[in-house]
Amino acid sequence: MADFLLTRPPPEVIGLLLGFCVVGVLATLNQQLGAVGGYSAVYERVTRRTSVLGWKAWFLGGILLGSLAFRLLAGENTVGDGYGWLTREFADWAVAPLLVIGGVMIGYGAKRAGGCTAANGICGTALGSAASFVATGTFMVVAIGVTFLIDAVIA
Amino acid sequence: MTRAVASGFGAVFGFAISWGQFTDPDRLREMLLLQDPYLYVMMATAVTIGFVGARLLRRRHARALLTGTPIRWTTTRPERRHVVGAAIFGVGWAITDSCPAPIAGQLAQGVLWSLFTIAGVVLGIALFLRRARVTTHAR
Repeated sequence: MADFLLTRPPPEVIGLLLGFCVVGVLATLNQQLGAVGGYSAVYERVTRRTSVLGWKAWFLGGILLGSLAFRLLAGENTVGDGYGWLTREFADWAVAPLLVIGGVMIGYGAKRAGGCTAANGICGTALGSAASFVATGTFMVVAIGVTFLIDAVIA
Repeated sequence: MTRAVASGFGAVFGFAISWGQFTDPDRLREMLLLQDPYLYVMMATAVTIGFVGARLLRRRHARALLTGTPIRWTTTRPERRHVVGAAIFGVGWAITDSCPAPIAGQLAQGVLWSLFTIAGVVLGIALFLRRARVTTHAR
């Protein structure tokens, strides 16, 4: 298949593509992109909090499609077996609840902070939102600090 | 048309994060351990492109192609919720070595572990919405 997809391109290429998405969504829909909003849109529609499926749900659906297209074109999974440090350090039965707990923190935290890595870290900062700069600085520092802490504990 | 356009940009986004291997927890961990600058260079590039592109659109008084509305956006002043929410998010990010878009990418690439993370994300959203509703009703 397309072997070049198995190697990461320079980070500027990925940044260019994601920046293009920020500008493209603004230029066509006059909206600010984000990923956690997609999960939220699906949940709010399923639980009948909203009467229509928000556009971010379609954006999230696109992420699934784009990743699937990548997988098919690349010819193999680029994620690898297992799940990072979790499956190296813990039995499978313990990994599942840890991922659920981590996921709860991601979902709740992103909603409370008004966005995730994409919405605050890329889009909000590009649009000059002070709240996004504060949120991005906070989650970067905390994520780096906790990762170093985990690394020290499991070493 | 809105659905198709949103899906199209989402597809570019998903393809890009998969190609950049942001779907790989080990790659993300290397970035958070500051062993690999890839994430930071990518984010700086994306923010720069977004910053320049958005301001060009606004300077030209452009209208959104699908909605016809003048392109503008509002910015938010930082509040306590941004710090608290982002701190909680950061812990979740460090545990799972993933965040909402890459989790969807993992699922599409057949990483079934992502189903647990997705379940957690949805639970977290439900918790937030429930709490927000209770707070609103209490006022």
